[in-house]
Amino acid sequence: MPGGAREVAESCVDSLNMELVATYCKRLHPTKPDLAGRRIEAIGYQVGLQLAERYTRERPRFTDHLESIKFICKDFWAEVFKKQVDNLKTNHKGVFVLQDNRFRWLTRISVDALPTTGAQNESAVAANAARASQAAGQYLYFPCGLIRGALTNLGVPCAVSAEVTTLPACEFNILVLKRVE
Amino acid sequence: MAALAPTSRMRCMYIFNRNGVCLHYHVWMRPHTTLSQQQDQKLMFGLLFSLKSFTAKMDPVGGNKGNLGMPSLPGQGCSFHSFRTNTYKLSFMESPSGIKLILVTDPRMGDLREALRFIYNNIYVEYVVKNPLYTLGQPFKCELFNSTLDQYVKTLQ
Repeated sequence: MPGGAREVAESCVDSLNMELVATYCKRLHPTKPDLAGRRIEAIGYQVGLQLAERYTRERPRFTDHLESIKFICKDFWAEVFKKQVDNLKTNHKGVFVLQDNRFRWLTRISVDALPTTGAQNESAVAANAARASQAAGQYLYFPCGLIRGALTNLGVPCAVSAEVTTLPACEFNILVLKRVE
Repeated sequence: MAALAPTSRMRCMYIFNRNGVCLHYHVWMRPHTTLSQQQDQKLMFGLLFSLKSFTAKMDPVGGNKGNLGMPSLPGQGCSFHSFRTNTYKLSFMESPSGIKLILVTDPRMGDLREALRFIYNNIYVEYVVKNPLYTLGQPFKCELFNSTLDQYVKTLQ
């Protein structure tokens, strides 16, 4: 391995993710989706804390919040999800929106196709797509935690939420929290 | 199912798991069916099971008769991989996990072993097994699987 870099098969990460959501959302807390989501997000938070340490080992400190967010969008995303964030929007008042048009952990999610009966009406197709997007939302808890953990360790306390726009695209909303003096 | 070009050679495809459950049935062009779908699938599974054990037992060269019903690596052991009639060709592949892929095509189609391996590795595993919304052992109709399969099959003429 070059330079001591160790790699893990991506299939392992994929399967682990699937099991994480299945265990928390179906087995442990089937009636409390929010609790399951918070638990998964907490796991992601711890992982994000550590990942931020590793990926910024050789870098100087970030000058401001925007630099940290840009690091997440470019280097952190490239390390974890093999691509950069496609679009970053901000209102310059502490709210950032990260758009990924092809989020790696959502690329394989699909629901059963509707039985083809001649002409498929548009509303049925749209309803099917909405079902898929909703089911996919559970798989975004962990990435939200990752982002929150990484940013917190870089000195940017925040709250992160996500939603699926149309598979496999999704958006992450980062709200930078003001420190209470 | 997606409409393929009229010159397409694909007819239909079955995917079974090792318990005989038909996980997926994909049809492109099948104007004539004699049995109900359930009977059709049961017959297909039974035929393959018998054919595999027959080919292993009648092998004049190999010493290893294998365990009846146990899957082996594609290419190892002795298993048939296709048969041809004057109206269609049936190609078969079994994965080590017992997933059986059957592709029914026009009789002029060439060897489809590589194609079946590709379908298993890059379409079934990627879009079905790794689909978080799918539970193993159940029949599936995943849209991504269907669309990727249709696209790939177009390149097989």
